[in-house]
Amino acid sequence: MASVLQNIVEKKHYRFIDGEGVSWQEAVRLSAESLVADGSVSEDYYKQIVACIEKFGPYVVFEHNIAMPHTTENATGAFKTGIGFMVSKHMIDFGVDEFGDKKEANLFFTLSAVNPEEHMNNIQQLSFIFMNEPLIDALAQARTPEDILAAEAKFPCEEME
Amino acid sequence: MAKLDGKRLLACCANGAGSSLMMENAIKKVLKKYNIKPSELRHCAVSEGKSAARNYDLVFCARTFVKNFEGVGANTIVIPLKNVMSDKEIEAALKEADLLD
Repeated sequence: MASVLQNIVEKKHYRFIDGEGVSWQEAVRLSAESLVADGSVSEDYYKQIVACIEKFGPYVVFEHNIAMPHTTENATGAFKTGIGFMVSKHMIDFGVDEFGDKKEANLFFTLSAVNPEEHMNNIQQLSFIFMNEPLIDALAQARTPEDILAAEAKFPCEEME
Repeated sequence: MAKLDGKRLLACCANGAGSSLMMENAIKKVLKKYNIKPSELRHCAVSEGKSAARNYDLVFCARTFVKNFEGVGANTIVIPLKNVMSDKEIEAALKEADLLD
């Protein structure tokens, strides 16, 4: 079975940006663009994610500057389960959370969830990827789809069978 | 028998679709390590979890959602997490609460 990163490359669900001076709202929109391109989500889908982060704070930004913007399962405008991957050369500022921790991200895994099984599998694999620090570091340096595959080949997630 | 055997566990996040699933996976890892067999482990959105929490022995959530579970009752322990996918943090929090053997 193809890994989520292989799927991202195969489906062209990736984007590489410079990110200098880009707001987090705009970054979320850009991260979903590759999902919009093949009809996985609507053009407006990202707005729900933005609203959610505005409501709950930047809790979708995890350690190691990883953002996983998402909404609920079967959200309006989500047509296919997928992951919009994005690397930003510059950190995107998500502000400070209520505990005073600065939140910023340069790696985006923006989710749309329609099929529960596929989504579950995506989440499972992503949690292994997020805990694989060398892979995360290599992905943050990726500038081409080939770089994504090379990073995964070099730093495979051993838990994944 | 492990202290958490037969207990009901709930993982909550804003939408019940992303980080709560990651939390559930991380919790499963800890349960497996300690050979704990809860009677239930599921995830849901905070909005649902707010009212459902009283039916659970343990509720895990990102620390930003703790305030949603104020007044849940003495029978439910709420465990806030800084890093929702960290099985190490979950393990440490359970140890701290004296729920592991």
